[in-house]
Amino acid sequence: MTVAFVFLTAMTLISALGVVLSRNVVHSALLMSASFLGVAGFFVMLNAPALAAFQVLIYVGAVTVVILFGIMFTQRPQVRRFRTIIQKQHWPGLFSAIGVGTFLAYILIIQDWGYTKPGNGLQEPGSLGEILLGVNGAPPIFGLLFEVISVLLLVAVIAAIVVSRRKTGEGVDRQEVDG
Amino acid sequence: MSLDILNHEPLRFLISFALILFLVLNLAAILTLAERKVSAYIQLRYGPNRVGPRGLLQPAADIFKLFTKENVSPNRADRWIFLAAPIAMFIPAAAVWLVIPFAPEAVVADLNIAIVFFIAITSIGALGVIMAGYGSRSNFSLLGALRGAAQMISYEVPLILSLLGVILLAGSLSLVDIVNAQSGGFWHWYFLPQFPMFVVFYIAGLAEARRVPFDLPEGESEISGGFMVEYSGMTWGLIQASEFASMGLISALHVTLFLGGWQPPVEFLDLGNFDWIWFGLKTALIMFTFQWIRWTVPRLRMDQLMDFGWKILVPICLVWLLVTAGVMLII
Repeated sequence: MTVAFVFLTAMTLISALGVVLSRNVVHSALLMSASFLGVAGFFVMLNAPALAAFQVLIYVGAVTVVILFGIMFTQRPQVRRFRTIIQKQHWPGLFSAIGVGTFLAYILIIQDWGYTKPGNGLQEPGSLGEILLGVNGAPPIFGLLFEVISVLLLVAVIAAIVVSRRKTGEGVDRQEVDG
Repeated sequence: MSLDILNHEPLRFLISFALILFLVLNLAAILTLAERKVSAYIQLRYGPNRVGPRGLLQPAADIFKLFTKENVSPNRADRWIFLAAPIAMFIPAAAVWLVIPFAPEAVVADLNIAIVFFIAITSIGALGVIMAGYGSRSNFSLLGALRGAAQMISYEVPLILSLLGVILLAGSLSLVDIVNAQSGGFWHWYFLPQFPMFVVFYIAGLAEARRVPFDLPEGESEISGGFMVEYSGMTWGLIQASEFASMGLISALHVTLFLGGWQPPVEFLDLGNFDWIWFGLKTALIMFTFQWIRWTVPRLRMDQLMDFGWKILVPICLVWLLVTAGVMLII
């Protein structure tokens, strides 16, 4: 258990450092996926396999691939060197890091964690679904969020169709040349 | 001497993990031979027939050749990504085998979210393709990787949607429960009530495994091998192994979800602990149809590929999902 914890911590922290220190955007993106994988490993250790699976699915699988797509489509192929400049803003970076760190530490400290221990959460996917949809006595707040996210996804799908739609007349010229 | 110690946690998992790796690597080796034999018989040839009786030892010779071959990497390649890509492709393909039930009580990890695990791990596969394509720093590789990633992301949508019908019917995300729910003869298997989903999963699975007619990322006649054009020796061997492993994986999942897993087709043929024979037979049959399709169907064009995925497969899935849910509400 300790070995696994040390390994996962090292993996998460070292790859997270690599993300910000690497001068190559693609390396950063791939290291970020390694960092996410480490976090998923923590979820497995805390006996929350569903959370781990969704972490892998969404962060490693989807977010990183989308980032890589963005990198590969935005750079011009002639100058594909994928370099970035390290930002030299030491002081703002330091202050924001300290600020976020203090905020998180404060939240961790004021919360009473005495009653929790790993692995006593909900294990059945069915009960997770019930809570999400707010049925069978679960608080309805998640149901509202669920609906809001559905609307957001619908908007995204419609936007994708609008963006990728062929304009009328596009492609006609080529057919005439072929004929 | 008691063998009970082998059944306790760290040891049990390590042993079964080693067995799974053994199975997957051997499966890949045998499938290379099967691929060449099937293609040969379809094209009225004999295929490999020099090494061993009827060429049966050809995989051993192939592996020996691959191990002794120099592992060349291009000078301007991104060395780390280039070398990590085959591993990033192979591990996901091998890891999902952990949740597949081979026989009653014979499953390495009976996760209650096995299907989500499968979906999550398959989504990493696209990452390996991108790594291979970018790491080679060659235009053909990059083109192949972009095609591969676009194709795998697009076909993941119908793949996941086609699973939902089975999940609705079985009421569980665990593959063991799904197999158990299909007991009692082949008329209880889910391919009958879920026939459209059965077909969609098959086609989307072909695309996920990057097999013909969806082999645009490889496309040897246009981009001469795509994302794997720069690989040689054992790195190339590992990419091939992961392709065959994912093909076997899709077949095994297809069998588990729609064809009753290890359940015998009629009940009096129940073999008890040897039910893995049924599982193997059905999986082999599905893998044979994959190879049959590969050697008889031409490759799709990129826009046809996208249109087919988004305009035909996804609507079929959604309509049949509504039908399934409606029928379940009424009954």
